[in-house]
Amino acid sequence: MAPRTVAPFGPQHPVLPEPIQLKITYENEKVVDVVPALGYGHRGIEKACELNEYPKNIHLVERICGICSCIHGISYCETVERLWPLEVPPRAKYLRVIYSEMSRLHSHLLWLGLLCDALGFESMFMQFWRIREKVLDILEATSGHRVTQSISVVGGVRRDIDAEQEKTCIKVLQEVKKEAESLINVLASDPTVKARTVGKGVLTKEQAILLGINGPHLRASGVKEDSRMLGAQAYSELGFEPIVETAGDCYARALVRAREALQSIELQLEAFSKMPEGEIFERPKGRPPANEVTYRAEQPRGECFYYAKGNGTQHLERFRVRTPTFANIPSLLVMLPGCELADVPVIVLSIDPCISCTER
Amino acid sequence: MIENLKEITKDTLLQEVQKFADAKARFVTTVCSDLGDKLEVTYYFNYSPGVDMSAMRMVVDKNEEVPSISGIYLAAVLVENEMFEQYGLKVKGMAIDFGGLMLLAKDSPVLPMVKDKAAGGKGGE
Amino acid sequence: MGIIQKSQVKSPWIMHFCNSSCNGCDIEVLASLTPLYDVERFGIVNMGNPKHADVLVVTGPVNYRTARVLKNLYDQIPDPKMVIAVGACASTGGVFHNCYNILGGVDKVLPVDVYVPGCAARPEAIIDGVVLALQKLSKAVGVAK
Repeated sequence: MAPRTVAPFGPQHPVLPEPIQLKITYENEKVVDVVPALGYGHRGIEKACELNEYPKNIHLVERICGICSCIHGISYCETVERLWPLEVPPRAKYLRVIYSEMSRLHSHLLWLGLLCDALGFESMFMQFWRIREKVLDILEATSGHRVTQSISVVGGVRRDIDAEQEKTCIKVLQEVKKEAESLINVLASDPTVKARTVGKGVLTKEQAILLGINGPHLRASGVKEDSRMLGAQAYSELGFEPIVETAGDCYARALVRAREALQSIELQLEAFSKMPEGEIFERPKGRPPANEVTYRAEQPRGECFYYAKGNGTQHLERFRVRTPTFANIPSLLVMLPGCELADVPVIVLSIDPCISCTER
Repeated sequence: MIENLKEITKDTLLQEVQKFADAKARFVTTVCSDLGDKLEVTYYFNYSPGVDMSAMRMVVDKNEEVPSISGIYLAAVLVENEMFEQYGLKVKGMAIDFGGLMLLAKDSPVLPMVKDKAAGGKGGE
Repeated sequence: MGIIQKSQVKSPWIMHFCNSSCNGCDIEVLASLTPLYDVERFGIVNMGNPKHADVLVVTGPVNYRTARVLKNLYDQIPDPKMVIAVGACASTGGVFHNCYNILGGVDKVLPVDVYVPGCAARPEAIIDGVVLALQKLSKAVGVAK
């Protein structure tokens, strides 16, 4: 037997923008065992959510993660609204879809860039981030902030998109679509990218289901599962069909995310064309009643589970978030053993890890 | 209201979870909450590729030991460790045991999510 | 003024460390390296190795576990060094002030030279913070008049 080495991967590592540590056991170049060490990003947001009054939590929940922040905020509102239950005005539903898809678009572009960075494809990384800035610009123009939009409040949304802004958004989205398509074509057909990703970190359909993974990671293994299929907000009125790949390797995951980025542009354009006129906010009556609800939202990284328990006061009795990466990390324990040291960064990145989400 | 909720006890937990595993359901998560003198643990499952979620709920004493389901669903290992750290729920036979140091550091507040604890962030004084 | 001091001020190498941040500022730090903001035109290079770095850019509040890592990284950076706290929570703890696992801002652990406000801090503000740190650095190495 070859000698074994245990080496830490992280918490400060060039390919990881965030702190996670993997204690990896190697046998020469081959990985034989992985143990994740978390805790570098743990803040205690769930407890703080019980301490704050429920409308203030929106800002806290949005900062569970700065990339998925918009969807965290929207989903928190959706969850708390279900305690009454409250119905939000139709225009607000469409606006929530538009903002959700916009943040999915920028998140997927960000991830495609990071993937290229991990592969050493520096110029492509820069290109993806260049077009991502356009998405951030329209987010800033419509909501007032690049990263944490705080667009949703309990009962509706905070800000409307007027006709002129709508025109700008549609124009920019069409530009982004054109550029993203050409970049994705290059990425998907590049032989170096294929050499680094095809057949790496394979997860079969059965393994994927048993591991309980979710999101693009699950869909790349051939399971047609997406929380947007539940039809919350206005998704039931938009022709939404999840994107599925069957290979289950890193390349399939990249393809799923690339196609989803393009799909989310289509969804936004469709939502803009179908969006009804009207109110965007309805003030909730009274305090959240004593009730408990669950809600699932599709974030860029996968399905996010929310649980809220009200007790008739301004505070929530219990609030829980199970973020997508929390469920996806166990899949690393199956995917990494057997791979080579140089493939570790790509495989880790292929689950689109979001550590601040995971640890809250 | 939680849909498809079933009350169970800790003795039937593993049998019930095995049924989900046999039916190829996906493990979603567990939610633990503090009821004062008892802990309420709810397990959520999702029949893939269906859209409905099923839940199982058990209420246990604070110093009672419950079996780990990580032998059936490896994915449960993180959330079981988390429940142990935050609520002191004793889970027996976890596939990876972080010994209470998964999310919390050595000098973090102990059992931070328990209701009667002072909630402050500054070291739990 | 020697060539080493001059190059330290002209081309500072930064190291970015993420505490228990929400990612918002981290992504903005990365975004300031990409084409629209492009800090590399000022000679600023992002480094993964603390021993190569002159400036430590810290995002996010300090929690009980990262405090040790942060201290360790700071000690590994050669003198003279600058610390920039990016974002509201790196400066004071911000929105996470009442979370149980949070110690507070970066200044609970390290001496901070420049605080960059914002949640999340904008790339322009981050670049501005680096420029301020450089002015301070040039005084420290004796380049400034």
